Amino acid sequence: MADEIQQAASKALMREMGLDEANIERRKKIVGFEASDLPRIAAIRDLVTQHTDDYVTTFFNHLSGLDDARSLIASRAIAERARQLKREHLVAMVQGEYGMKYVEQRIELGTLYAKAGLDARVFLGAFHQLLKHIGSAVMKQVDRKPVDGFESFMSLKKIAFFDIGLIVDVLVFERERVIRQQQESIRELSTPVLQIRERLLLLPIIGVIDTQRARLITESLLRSIRANRAKVVVMDITGVATIDSKVSNHLLQTVTAARLMGAHVIVTGLSAEVAQSLVALGIELSKLNTVGDLQGGLEEAERILGYRVPTTATDAGPALEGS
Amino acid sequence: MSVPILKQGDVLIASIQAALSDRELAQLHDAFADQVGRFRSRGVIIDVTALDVLDSFATRTLRSIAYTAKLRGANAVVVGIQPDVAFAMVQLGLSLEGVATALDLEEGLAYIRDVAKRGGHRVR
Repeated sequence: MADEIQQAASKALMREMGLDEANIERRKKIVGFEASDLPRIAAIRDLVTQHTDDYVTTFFNHLSGLDDARSLIASRAIAERARQLKREHLVAMVQGEYGMKYVEQRIELGTLYAKAGLDARVFLGAFHQLLKHIGSAVMKQVDRKPVDGFESFMSLKKIAFFDIGLIVDVLVFERERVIRQQQESIRELSTPVLQIRERLLLLPIIGVIDTQRARLITESLLRSIRANRAKVVVMDITGVATIDSKVSNHLLQTVTAARLMGAHVIVTGLSAEVAQSLVALGIELSKLNTVGDLQGGLEEAERILGYRVPTTATDAGPALEGS
Repeated sequence: MSVPILKQGDVLIASIQAALSDRELAQLHDAFADQVGRFRSRGVIIDVTALDVLDSFATRTLRSIAYTAKLRGANAVVVGIQPDVAFAMVQLGLSLEGVATALDLEEGLAYIRDVAKRGGHRVR
């Protein structure tokens, strides 16, 4: 059952990475693998399959001596699984079949390394140790014909580099996946549109606004205006540290788009520095309805909506009322 | 297909249901200019809810209708611009400046009532 799930995951990952038959053929070409390599690998098949356990032990002994690989060795379950896969790997390496099935097994092992947080350089070091042992075993056996032994070993090495390419790609791909997910969640977190009252939305903007983010902000705001039937939107930019002409242009676009949907936008939270830099840049903001702080913005919004804002102090002056 | 203009009290309502050719837009413009005076209307509402595209000519015609209506004594509101359309228009620099907009027909009617109550023209 667990195997099946793992296999399905590997297949899905292969699709995501674009690993199809054509891609695999290209990868073989990259390492220079040809049909003439097959008999050479077949010549050392028995030698490798008979001592598989030795080689696997070499690989993992090398890893256990490294601090960097502790995460892989520390978890018993992962280490066991990795051992088993490595054993299968070595057997498969000399079978002469390097198609989708073979790649799938490599991807599974690569995913396991990625999960254990194994770095590419650590894997490469251990893999080199393993190859070195196979190489010296091959040379010992064919001591009468060193050239043949060397040729066979080099053919096997092509497959080894084919494997390395796959494993490193999986490691990189998995690492990038984490980055992609984080970026996605940051984006989602960064554009909340909150309903404060009936027909009144608050759009707090925090951090750096680039073109893509401005687009997302505008889109989610327009959708919320439609969904909540909003009439007034208070856009608070207290959290925007610096504003240049590009950012102000994005803000203006958002305001204009909201206006086209029939919503009134109030911009609040322009700090003294921001206001000064806007004036210095000569940016035309007369189209914007700006209020100093969020409190004032909300009061203004409620006034537009026809709410009366009561004050508790009796001498606070006349209460704001819809004009 | 020409767009029918409905008369509801002192408000004229045109609901555009499909993308219009330039010629049809010009016809709509002329029909409004004529009927605003004939029915002594106080408000004009153009509903574009069904449109998924508003190009520069359509935008210019809408603005022209609004200005013409105002010269003839009526307030115009464009209602029902879709989020995607609004975004695309802003990207293209079409902002319907000087023309009132509202979320939907209901809001548009409320706006016209509001302006009439205050007894003046207000342009957002």
